Amino acid sequence: MNIAKHRLRAVRLLVLVAVMALFAAACSDSSDTTTTVGGSATTATTSGGTEVIKLAVLSECAGAFGDFHGQDMAGVGAAFAEYAGATITNPDDPTEGFTGASIAGVPVELVGIGCGDDTADTAIKETRRLMEQLDGDIMIGPLSGDESIAVANYAKDHPSQTFINGSAGAMDTTLEVQAPNFFRYNSDGAQWNAGTGDVAFNDLGWKTAAVIMDDYSFAWTSGAGFIAEFCAAGGEVISRVFPPLNTTDYSSFAGQLPDPDEVDGYFWVVGGSGTLPALKAFEDAKGPVTPTQHMGNLFWEFAAGSMDPSMEGAYIGGFGTAGDLKLDSVEAHTAIIDKHYDTIPPFGEAGPQAHSGFLVNYYLAAKALIEGLEAVGGNISDDQAALQSALGSLVLAGPYGSTTLDDNRQAIQDQYVRQFVTLDDGTLGLSTVAVIPTVDQTFGGTFAQGSMPSRTVPGCDTRDLAWVGNSISVVDGVPQG
Amino acid sequence: MAALRFVWRARVTAARAAPELGSRRVFTAERVVQVAAIVGLVVAPAFTSDFFVSFVLTQALLLGVVAASLIFLAAYGGMVSLAQTLMFGVTGFVIGNAVTTGGSKGLNLGLDPWIGVILGVGITTVLAFVLGAVASRSTGLYFLMITLTFGVIGFYFFGQVTTFSGFGGVNQVRSPPFIGTPGQFPERLYYVAAVISVVVYLVLRYITRTPFGLALQGIRDDHVRMSSLGYNLWIHRTLAFTLAGFVASIAGVLFIWWNRQIDPASIGIGAILGLLIIAVIGGINRLDGAWVGAIVFVVANNYVRDVPGLNQIGLGEARFNTIIGFIFLFIVLLSPDGLIGIGQRITRSLTPARMHTSRDPGYDSGSGSSEMM
Amino acid sequence: MKKSSQRSTVQWTALVAGWSVAASLAAWVLVFANGTPAEPLLSEPADFVVVVLNSLTIAGLYFIVASGFTLIFGLMRVVNLAHGSFFLLGGYLALEFQKTMVGKTRNILGSDVGVIDWVLPLLLAAMITGVLGLIMQQLFLRKFQGQDMRETLITIAISVILADLMVAWFGGIGVDIQWPGLIDNAVVVFGIRYSVTRLFMLGFAIVVGIALWGWLQKTRTGMIIRAGVDDTSMVQALGINVQWVFGLAFLVGSALAGMGGVMGGSFAGLAAGVDGQWLLNSIIVVIVGGLGSLTGALAGSLLLGTVTAFAPAYLPAGFTNYSIIFTFVLLGAVLAWRPYGLFGEPE
Repeated sequence: MNIAKHRLRAVRLLVLVAVMALFAAACSDSSDTTTTVGGSATTATTSGGTEVIKLAVLSECAGAFGDFHGQDMAGVGAAFAEYAGATITNPDDPTEGFTGASIAGVPVELVGIGCGDDTADTAIKETRRLMEQLDGDIMIGPLSGDESIAVANYAKDHPSQTFINGSAGAMDTTLEVQAPNFFRYNSDGAQWNAGTGDVAFNDLGWKTAAVIMDDYSFAWTSGAGFIAEFCAAGGEVISRVFPPLNTTDYSSFAGQLPDPDEVDGYFWVVGGSGTLPALKAFEDAKGPVTPTQHMGNLFWEFAAGSMDPSMEGAYIGGFGTAGDLKLDSVEAHTAIIDKHYDTIPPFGEAGPQAHSGFLVNYYLAAKALIEGLEAVGGNISDDQAALQSALGSLVLAGPYGSTTLDDNRQAIQDQYVRQFVTLDDGTLGLSTVAVIPTVDQTFGGTFAQGSMPSRTVPGCDTRDLAWVGNSISVVDGVPQG
Repeated sequence: MAALRFVWRARVTAARAAPELGSRRVFTAERVVQVAAIVGLVVAPAFTSDFFVSFVLTQALLLGVVAASLIFLAAYGGMVSLAQTLMFGVTGFVIGNAVTTGGSKGLNLGLDPWIGVILGVGITTVLAFVLGAVASRSTGLYFLMITLTFGVIGFYFFGQVTTFSGFGGVNQVRSPPFIGTPGQFPERLYYVAAVISVVVYLVLRYITRTPFGLALQGIRDDHVRMSSLGYNLWIHRTLAFTLAGFVASIAGVLFIWWNRQIDPASIGIGAILGLLIIAVIGGINRLDGAWVGAIVFVVANNYVRDVPGLNQIGLGEARFNTIIGFIFLFIVLLSPDGLIGIGQRITRSLTPARMHTSRDPGYDSGSGSSEMM
Repeated sequence: MKKSSQRSTVQWTALVAGWSVAASLAAWVLVFANGTPAEPLLSEPADFVVVVLNSLTIAGLYFIVASGFTLIFGLMRVVNLAHGSFFLLGGYLALEFQKTMVGKTRNILGSDVGVIDWVLPLLLAAMITGVLGLIMQQLFLRKFQGQDMRETLITIAISVILADLMVAWFGGIGVDIQWPGLIDNAVVVFGIRYSVTRLFMLGFAIVVGIALWGWLQKTRTGMIIRAGVDDTSMVQALGINVQWVFGLAFLVGSALAGMGGVMGGSFAGLAAGVDGQWLLNSIIVVIVGGLGSLTGALAGSLLLGTVTAFAPAYLPAGFTNYSIIFTFVLLGAVLAWRPYGLFGEPE
């Protein structure tokens, strides 16, 4: 009994010591950053120029996209290793970061990696830690839609820091918030779906369609891309169904969809753990339909590993990537990733992951930053005004084509429609079937500040979209244009 | 029997008995700590970075206020309410909907920030009364589960009902000019939170000594007797819940001024359990435990990833919840009265032995206070 | 005197209010529900039948998960808030077993999965989660028996740790367990198409319910358990090892959570956060039905199932996302009437 008593006491003491140690850590941290001026990080600058540029990355290490932490960081790391002379700390674990980067003679230090969980709440807390505690000058990130809206709003309040979106695709982030120091070199969810409406109306002959989408901003954005284009081409969306995010039982929502004899096709924007249960609830209620009566957005790409191979032939919206295109730039990109990384946990070998959307988008963000910093000679001592203006006018060459920004600092770039194909081992894979050239965010004025995608926006109007009818078909990875 | 099943009922009785037993001694010790805490609060900004003040300390103070509302109910009413996070969040969402001027989700009513505060606190207090009226007819674990359900339904409500928020939350919520924009006056909000914390602490402490507070504790200890004495148990519990909701809503005001943004994840199951963890870490039977727990939680949240060696054993920043879960588990297993209890025991072990036993019988038996059950 | 007359007034008001709400809801579904996804019963009776079936089948799943939760509480007075974690863990484990048995890690088809490739993972997963529950009880809870709030906090701590570790082990992306091909289809009766897996879920729940009831009511172990609940010291005095009985309760309760996880993982998928969702479902079921009562769990499941299926079907089409409010209405209505649930008793 006595021994137990003492042991207990010892454990309690240990807990106390641990807590005190933490406080000591916190205090020592705070004492060497006392020179910070709240919000604007001017510590890194002197009157003459910039001594060191502090870079922060907001990635995800928890939540639904936590598995892509490695890919996010590999995208950033590979860009800095390739174009800024950085040394990768551990080629088998991108999340350990890199050292020794410098641009135009100015060292770039990776001061912190933020750990998001796809909620806005955590994204803001992590952003504050990165930009206020660790004094980041520039942040790359975040990954997902709601986070990016919150971060863009944060950016608006901190004009002398620069934010480059990681991989998020909510439309509000750029078109609605319009923070002058928030840049996005990837497309939003609507742009990614460019081409699907065209394919549905002109190739598959759908005259009417039903859209089922999760009830939150990224899904609305994604669905809006299809609706805007399908209606622009002349089709009619006769039903929109909105299951709440992560619904347990989709049967009532599947039941809301029109029957297969009442509509030509269905467009699916159901993600999370709901992609397959929603499809199954649909089949239970309406019976099996052919793959070309269905179409999905990039959520289907995430679920491809669990999908029934009989989905072969179904078209799905893009994610800004087309790793199967037979282009030199595509191979070059694979080589860059392969050169700097051996494995990217938890998915294994690095090379095959080179064209994951998350990796490519974080890579583009980092590459844009490097080019922007090169343009200003690494000088950010003017509250980053020159850097921000350089970033806005970049023409950024990427693995599949080049990207420019519009007035809201949103990417204008090519999009890719894909199709499910059966691979040699019997599993489902994706193949790029069309390139949609230079898609802009507003879809010819369908979207604007104040009319963001929602349950009712966009309406269904015919209009001329520059790219409809101008898509370049792809045969065996070779664009025919 | 049933009434005594709560571990901290007995504990609180012991803790309350403490000042009487060792009166002068403990009184001074407590005074010293209190004065030191106040002085610390006042001078902290002079010795720490802006980030530490505006992020860590302010956050800890406002979380401490919510945790205090939880502890008030748990320690003095025997009601462990997991709906306090909801109360805090409802205020945030109401203010968010009321004061934003467009470009955000929600109603964007564009009202004056102070009107937003009145609306937020008012609506939350009314809601607390309604929810309290429903939940207060139950006690114990039942009450805990009902309030947990309220909290989680609240999360889904704000997530799914896109009229008011949606999962993306409400952004760009303006504060009154006095608080300003982020980085403008980093210390003002801190001092506001500090003053509110002190006031909340004093007021809640005062209430526990009023006839209402005493009746509440009577109901906690022996509801049968109180009922036969003519006390309306339900009204007392409901009013206590309403009061706690009001306190939590004040913290909600601080939160929305501090964060300028609120989304369902701010009040989701993680946040609900986080608040409970704060209360338990600090010591769920003492009001001051709220702030102790909050500061430990926020500091751990922010700095535990910097502790060398953790990453090597697979407990890096991504596994923060595992670490905090283990801390929580240890506290619950070893010290049901939290860090404050540990602190007290350490102080006590430095004082003459005769003082222990009478005050806290059987504490170190290794099985908590099972003989009190 | 004054008090009791007040109370009866309150009760009368509640009664009248309750019945009028119920009557108007029935009238709404019967005649007026135009513009809702399902349309009124009189014009679309087939939709109504499907919605009723949906509510029964989802109630079956709710019951399987909640029965373990209520069993543990009924016997041990422990609210096991790690129940959702055991649910999710059971699902993930079964998925791993199924992948191994089928020999595929991607694109598992219904036709790949024989009945045994689903049943064996189910049993294994249930066994493992059951044993984990037992270990948790022996290691952490046994010592604090009787301190129910402390035990509850311990289960919360374990749920926090498990939830985080599962994200680390199994990732955050949603995954699904494949139903056996045999039942992964639909039947058409009187022109109404309905899913066989959903009917299977209901049947499975009925089997589980009967087995539990038989076990508790008809076997010697069951009698000891019930006696142990009523008077622990008397049972102990009779020379029966009560600890063994309590351990058994945790084993079975947690196994039911794991089993529910396999069903739920096949029906609705598994992902981080699903644990909390199903914990919430279980809690609502037992709050409504009454903690510790198997009959209560049945009633609670049916009521929650009704709300889950009817609210989105019979709300006006643009407002289906408000259906969460009806869960709250259900809760509030039951608690206002019976603060300890339909079949519960005050502690």
